[in-house]
Amino acid sequence: MNFVEARLAKLARNGDRNAFAELVELYKDKIFHLAYRMLNNKQEAEDAVQETFLRVYTNLHRYDENQKFSTWIFRIGTNLCIDKLRRRKNTYSLDAEMPDGEGNDYYAMLPSHEDTPEKQVIVSETQEQIRQAIETLPEKYKSVVILRYLHDMSLQEISDVLDMPVTTIKTRVHRGREYLRKRLEQEDQVGYTNPVHM
Amino acid sequence: MNCKEALPLIHEYLDGDLQGSDSQRLKEHLISCQACHALFRQLEKTDAMVRMLPPVRVSETLTAQIMSGLPPVKKRNSWMDFIRKHPAVSVAVVFATVMFGSFMSMWNDDTNLMVKGSNLQDVVIEGNTVTVPQGHTVKGDLVVQRGKLKVEGEVTGNLIVIDGSLNLASTAHISGHVTQVDEALGWVWYKLGEFVGMLSH
Ligand SMILES: [Zn+2]
Repeated sequence: MNFVEARLAKLARNGDRNAFAELVELYKDKIFHLAYRMLNNKQEAEDAVQETFLRVYTNLHRYDENQKFSTWIFRIGTNLCIDKLRRRKNTYSLDAEMPDGEGNDYYAMLPSHEDTPEKQVIVSETQEQIRQAIETLPEKYKSVVILRYLHDMSLQEISDVLDMPVTTIKTRVHRGREYLRKRLEQEDQVGYTNPVHM
Repeated sequence: MNCKEALPLIHEYLDGDLQGSDSQRLKEHLISCQACHALFRQLEKTDAMVRMLPPVRVSETLTAQIMSGLPPVKKRNSWMDFIRKHPAVSVAVVFATVMFGSFMSMWNDDTNLMVKGSNLQDVVIEGNTVTVPQGHTVKGDLVVQRGKLKVEGEVTGNLIVIDGSLNLASTAHISGHVTQVDEALGWVWYKLGEFVGMLSH
């Protein structure tokens, strides 16, 4: 239990903006990291972070101090990203074909990855493949994989964040891992490099 | 152990959850089965690679953006401040609030003009202006809430203006007291006084 965060939340609830700013400093990178991996778009991720903090702020009176603050904010952030992914899917399937009659489908509209923060530095091909593999993960595995690997959460913590039984989380981690393995195998990243010697 | 049993155990191992005897059985299978061993190494490598993905940098302006996007700080409730500063009195306020909860909610929700009195036929109401015309008499008390009260005539009882304005003409004659209540807190005190007055009757 992090008492500092619970205390900051309490101060912020009573109108202390500086206390809230400290919470923003503590969590903005983590939530951005989460949102960026979920949405794979910098602008959308920033919007998601801003929305997450707005929700945190307006719901501070509902925050239970016996709960870890990190669990609470990750729950808000993750749910928001899942919502955005679902809405995106609906929008895209509704107008999969654009009305200009030129047959532009939504793939043409997907944000190019040219301006992703990673492209500003030189990124290994392997990392690019992993990024793409995560991007193509079905949403229910995606959130679990991101929380597990990129935020180093335990299965129990993920179960608290997503409000699902640990057994479900476990299954999703296993399926997500299996999915990624297959994707990366296709890319020849985790294939046999050497014959296995026993 | 067969290969079907091995796979879930591999996952358990990678989750960090594999128990002693199962761990031993898995190890034995992996030594004897090349396919599962290869799969194990692939999954292990997948885990390692995913963990390798670097965190992304946030833009410098994000904090400012977040903070400026918050709703403005709510104006402090003046009578909540009052309670904080005068804890001894707050018991009485809580009592009054509980007793007159319905009045309080009326105060907060209602924005309409209210005129109360036992004898209103001589009162003229136009818009939110209430007039007691010259030469006319209101017998008993007159209460006006959220309106402009203009008295040119006579009121034989008390005159109470709540959250409004009062204009007494030179011709006005009020036999009782004139009370003006401007804030919710004053309203509570007013109702409390009325209540205490009622008790002491
Ligand atoms: Zn096997």
